Amino acid sequence: MTKEIALGSAPDLRRIYATAALRRGNASGTLPDVRYSRAGVRVDVDDLVAYSRVCHFPVATSLPLTYPHLIAFPLQMVVMSGDRFPLPLLGAVHLENRIEAVRPIDVDERLDVSVWAQDLRPHTRGRQVDLVSEVAVRGEVVWRGVSTYLSRGTEQPAAQTSELPSREQPAAVIGGPRWRLGEGTGRAYAAVSGDWNPIHVHALTARPLGFPSAIAHGMYSYARVLASLGPRLPESGLTSRVWFRKPVRLPSTVRLRTAFEPTRTLSLLEGATGEIEHAVVENTW
Amino acid sequence: MASQPTPRAPRRVAVLGGNRIPFARSNGPYAKASNQDMLTAAVDGLVARHGLAGERLGEVVAGAVLKHSRDFNLTRETVLGTCLDPRTPAYDIQQACGTGLEAAILVSNKIALGQVDAGVAGGVDSASDAPIAVSEGLRQTLLAANRARSAGERAKALAGLRPAHLVPAIPENVEPRTGLSMGEHMALTAAQWGISREAQDELAAASHQHLAAAYDRGFFDDLVTPFLGVSRDTNLRPDSSVEKLSTLKPVFGRGDGATMTAGNSTPLTDGASAVLLASEEWAAEHRLTPLAWFVDAETAAVDYVHGDEGLLMAPAYAVPRLLARNGLSLQDFDFYEIHEAFAATVLTTLKAWEDADFCKARLGLDEPLGSIDRSRLNVNGSSLAAGHPFAATGGRIVASLAKQLKEEAGGGRGLISICAAGGQGVVAILEA
Repeated sequence: MTKEIALGSAPDLRRIYATAALRRGNASGTLPDVRYSRAGVRVDVDDLVAYSRVCHFPVATSLPLTYPHLIAFPLQMVVMSGDRFPLPLLGAVHLENRIEAVRPIDVDERLDVSVWAQDLRPHTRGRQVDLVSEVAVRGEVVWRGVSTYLSRGTEQPAAQTSELPSREQPAAVIGGPRWRLGEGTGRAYAAVSGDWNPIHVHALTARPLGFPSAIAHGMYSYARVLASLGPRLPESGLTSRVWFRKPVRLPSTVRLRTAFEPTRTLSLLEGATGEIEHAVVENTW
Repeated sequence: MASQPTPRAPRRVAVLGGNRIPFARSNGPYAKASNQDMLTAAVDGLVARHGLAGERLGEVVAGAVLKHSRDFNLTRETVLGTCLDPRTPAYDIQQACGTGLEAAILVSNKIALGQVDAGVAGGVDSASDAPIAVSEGLRQTLLAANRARSAGERAKALAGLRPAHLVPAIPENVEPRTGLSMGEHMALTAAQWGISREAQDELAAASHQHLAAAYDRGFFDDLVTPFLGVSRDTNLRPDSSVEKLSTLKPVFGRGDGATMTAGNSTPLTDGASAVLLASEEWAAEHRLTPLAWFVDAETAAVDYVHGDEGLLMAPAYAVPRLLARNGLSLQDFDFYEIHEAFAATVLTTLKAWEDADFCKARLGLDEPLGSIDRSRLNVNGSSLAAGHPFAATGGRIVASLAKQLKEEAGGGRGLISICAAGGQGVVAILEA
């Protein structure tokens, strides 16, 4: 039977990261049957404004599509740093993310957040797992997020991988936004998200983990894409998916190209000259 | 029950004259002149030329694209420094490079409705005396300190200062939503439409030659007032030629397809312009002869953010709407003033109007608008030669076209087309 653990306050992510290196993950092949939750979470407006500025969302009454992920993320970290969690937290790679927005969430609504892990399965480069986050208001689920993380390990060539959408672009698309992401981008996002994962903070902290420079948070790049699409996406009944391809090394310049269809957008976040594919974002409604 | 007032029929609006200071390349002779200095000089020259000293006008409308926060009331402050009656009201507008023409539209509309009888429309920009802002970090820190209610809170706020905050924020010529400069946007559109380097250089050379010829025959004698020792636009190269322009290296775009150079793109420029508009009755009372009538105008905008349309293509959409409303074809004009933001802008716009697919798919027209007689285009030079102080360009064009129609051609019809940042375009029709 699922064990429910209710937390009274947001867990301290810095403490989790500080001790993460000590946890190697439990080699077992099963996920602990546990859900962590927080009830009646209130959005801090100052935090929301800071996040919105960093990600270029307008400050508005309803939350940015990605904002509930920020609230759920500390609970994800608690799940993944648990003693019985089968994968090591440090070095986990965010592969994909999926958000279903049932309806917009108002800044003054009290949110019941619960997070659990499911679907531990092989990946060609190791094992992957889904961290599911649900946000409910007065018993009604209004937002659901699924973050898929990879833990590199034994290669499993036969493993099934999630299929990317076709990336054909209409010929009419000739420009599109281009953003300069400075060296401090990871720290700026860490400051508003609490995600101080050392691979994002500084080249010096990223190098021991195998990256020549700091890399941008995937959820930051994704948020920038959604913020740029802005009013062209509906607020209700939206399913948004992102596939993180090659990390954005900081500093760098990226460009966004989007194809618009009546009930779908498909965006590619690429290096400035299109030489690297950083992320594929698909929105459907 | 009170009787209903009879609606007044719109009145014809006359362009009575214009005045500008010579335009100067940035960081040149006007480097230390402020927007207010230059706009005052342009308006005062206009006032002197038309004998309006001490006159209370209906309004003065002007603006600047690059504007200091202290200049929140730039135009009203300018009026107070001119020879106009200080009881002349004024307000600022800003529509990027469309500012000057949009100001003329606003004044014209009030005159047409009988709300004012006469007014001045203008614009000014200094790329030299540009505002520099404190960094966002310093600004937020100072605002937090300002909100603090105690010395302790203030000290805590100021403790957030970092050395990096002291680096100032200098205005950038980029579109906020795309991060691309206007030139980079134009290069994408030019490549999409296959605009050749040679065609761009030809247009640029013609602009210089036409402007120089206009100065030489005295065309600008009553349109330009010298300022700070400058009597001609400093960007003007009378001996410009396709051969000389062809030696310049491209500055926008990439690789073999890069065609846009400093020679076929407008330079950053300082300058100001103003136009006098009035009703027929007011003109007659003041013994001023109309140069032309401000007939109609249209603005359009395109969705350029995700590349659906080129940043500077909005005039291509505005013109057919204006033509349709006035029952005119593109060929029903004696003169065309298409603002040369870049030579490629003009050529792309003309090519789009000739393109059956574009006109059908994008403009919803069964037939393309067609070609124009290129000998009627920018006959007294345009922004490539004169330079382009953003908000001052509209006033330059309205005054020059009005005079061209009246005094050089003895009547006729002219079309003005100006592209603007943010994917906007402002177009207008003058008749004499």
